[in-house]
Amino acid sequence: MTKRLAETILLLGFIGIATTLGLALLKAPSVSINAFESPEAQRIFYWHVPAAWAAFIAFGFLFVGSALWFFKRSNLGWRMHVAGAEAGLATGLMTVWSGMVWGSAEWGVPWDWTDVRLNTFGLLTFLAMFLVLGRQSQPDGVETRDTFSTFGLFGFVLVPVTYVATRLWQIRHPGPVIGGGDSGSLNGEMALILLLGAISFTVFIAGHMLMSMRITSLEQRLESIQEAMDKV
Amino acid sequence: MSEVLLSLNGVSIRRGSSLVFKDLNVELKTGQLVLLNDRNGTGKSTMLEAAAGLLPLEKGEIFHHGELILDASGRSKRPSTAFGLTLQSDGCVGSQRVEEHILNAVDLAGGRIDIDAWLERYNLAHRRHDLIAHLSGGQRRKVAMLAGILPGFVGDKPRILLLDEPAAGLDETSRTLLVEDLLELKQRGNALLLASHQTDFSNCATHVFNGLEFMQNDANVEMSGTQRDIKATTHRTKPSFRTGVLLNQRTLSTLASNGIAGFLTLGILLALVDASAIDSSVIQASGLFLSAAFAAGLVGDTMVPMLHEHGALDWWKAHRQGIPHSYIHALVLGSTLTALTQLGFDEQVSWPLVAIGGLLTATTMAIVRTIDLATSRLARPRAAFTRILTPVLILPFALLVQWVTDSNLL
Repeated sequence: MTKRLAETILLLGFIGIATTLGLALLKAPSVSINAFESPEAQRIFYWHVPAAWAAFIAFGFLFVGSALWFFKRSNLGWRMHVAGAEAGLATGLMTVWSGMVWGSAEWGVPWDWTDVRLNTFGLLTFLAMFLVLGRQSQPDGVETRDTFSTFGLFGFVLVPVTYVATRLWQIRHPGPVIGGGDSGSLNGEMALILLLGAISFTVFIAGHMLMSMRITSLEQRLESIQEAMDKV
Repeated sequence: MSEVLLSLNGVSIRRGSSLVFKDLNVELKTGQLVLLNDRNGTGKSTMLEAAAGLLPLEKGEIFHHGELILDASGRSKRPSTAFGLTLQSDGCVGSQRVEEHILNAVDLAGGRIDIDAWLERYNLAHRRHDLIAHLSGGQRRKVAMLAGILPGFVGDKPRILLLDEPAAGLDETSRTLLVEDLLELKQRGNALLLASHQTDFSNCATHVFNGLEFMQNDANVEMSGTQRDIKATTHRTKPSFRTGVLLNQRTLSTLASNGIAGFLTLGILLALVDASAIDSSVIQASGLFLSAAFAAGLVGDTMVPMLHEHGALDWWKAHRQGIPHSYIHALVLGSTLTALTQLGFDEQVSWPLVAIGGLLTATTMAIVRTIDLATSRLARPRAAFTRILTPVLILPFALLVQWVTDSNLL
């Protein structure tokens, strides 16, 4: 069971996400046709918001891992950095892609270059892409880890900026759906499906990151064995 | 009592996945020549690069002339007395002329000496104006070696000279001359750290490194050499700025890379956008007029890939007196592109916007260059996908365009 823990958690996450999608499409109440240009497209937010939530968790993991490697030279920290970057890329792309679909339906354009939250979130996803692709292009070593951890630490500045962006500079992106005052309130059924989505995505990235950390650990073991064999 | 010129205090250095040095404590004093001649993979180059302040430290501190130049927390300072450096990878750019690289090394040391005699001595006088790319491997090594030893002849103050395989690929005559020069450098009070497997240096080294400390060299034979009277004059031009301008003029790299991106953007805009439909009061006009300058800056500084050749970037970084750049060319290019874009769509040119265009190209280039330099420590810096991060510049560009529109600069 312990060996299959990551796979089990990942599977539970998938099932939860599939259930959320099913409920979002079939069970969630429709929004007022006067409130949105494209009311049916609003259902995408049951995917978009939990994916964004999971992305923030992944980026947080990336930051903690980067700090642990950079300041403590912790191998666990480096594994967290790798896992956070990979999970951040996956959930970041899910968020950006679903947001663009909704933007096309609601605003008529998939992207607004002047909207702070869209752009800072896009940048976080690009940062995760840079960290994942860049790491794969380099041999593992202190130089690689130091460089990418530095970017991980600097990139994290974008997380609070992105989080508060719709509160400070709401241009086009809708305001927060939770904790955003009266204008952002949800009815009970909507909130329940959204909560299920948030839990499912959290479980999904937990499984994803556990699996990624195990793979990185195996890579590190393989490398140390190869180095020992080089010396024979 | 001899003055300590270089000290590594409790230094631990990691390279790749292995710890090369752990708690290393060594001191190099004036008039000492320490030979690092251990087998391959024992950290000779690592020690030299660490002494030059090029490698981050896991632990410990490095001092030059009693001044801290690098510690484990990342504190770094430019040494007040410049040192000589020959890197294993030569450290010179192929597009530089022979005399330019050697004069850079001398100027970085804070004075100008006549290099003719040295070029003559090492049979490089006839190659003085040649590009380094046109030299043979051995001749290029001589240039790198001269750039490492000549700072030791500038002025009366003893210096640290860090020489990594300075005689690799050199013929026997050149090696004999080099031994004579090293002896004179030693007599002048310089402190030399020399990594080499050549047996030529066994007799002139005062100490050898045994992996843990500097040991007295039993094979050292005190040889008396003549000490030449070398006059040094002061020289004020900043070598990094001069090199950036010279390399740009010679290779036209900024025009060929940034310029092409800018002109292509301008060409596409002229082909696709109807000039009569442009209203200069709206945001699209400002964005349109600045697009070519922005695209030119996004290419980054062509000096960075050029300096990756033969480890030249490390050579410049070690001296901590600036790294050659293309900012002046970016400023001119961005201004020109903005003026041409305006003329392509409008009959009038807004000069404030032309200036903003120049600054936009230079600033964008500077940010991309910073990202490129931040990844220069990687084993494969050119494979690091740094351009994925350039979208970070789009939001500031959008805000600039908004500001230009609101300010009625058009």
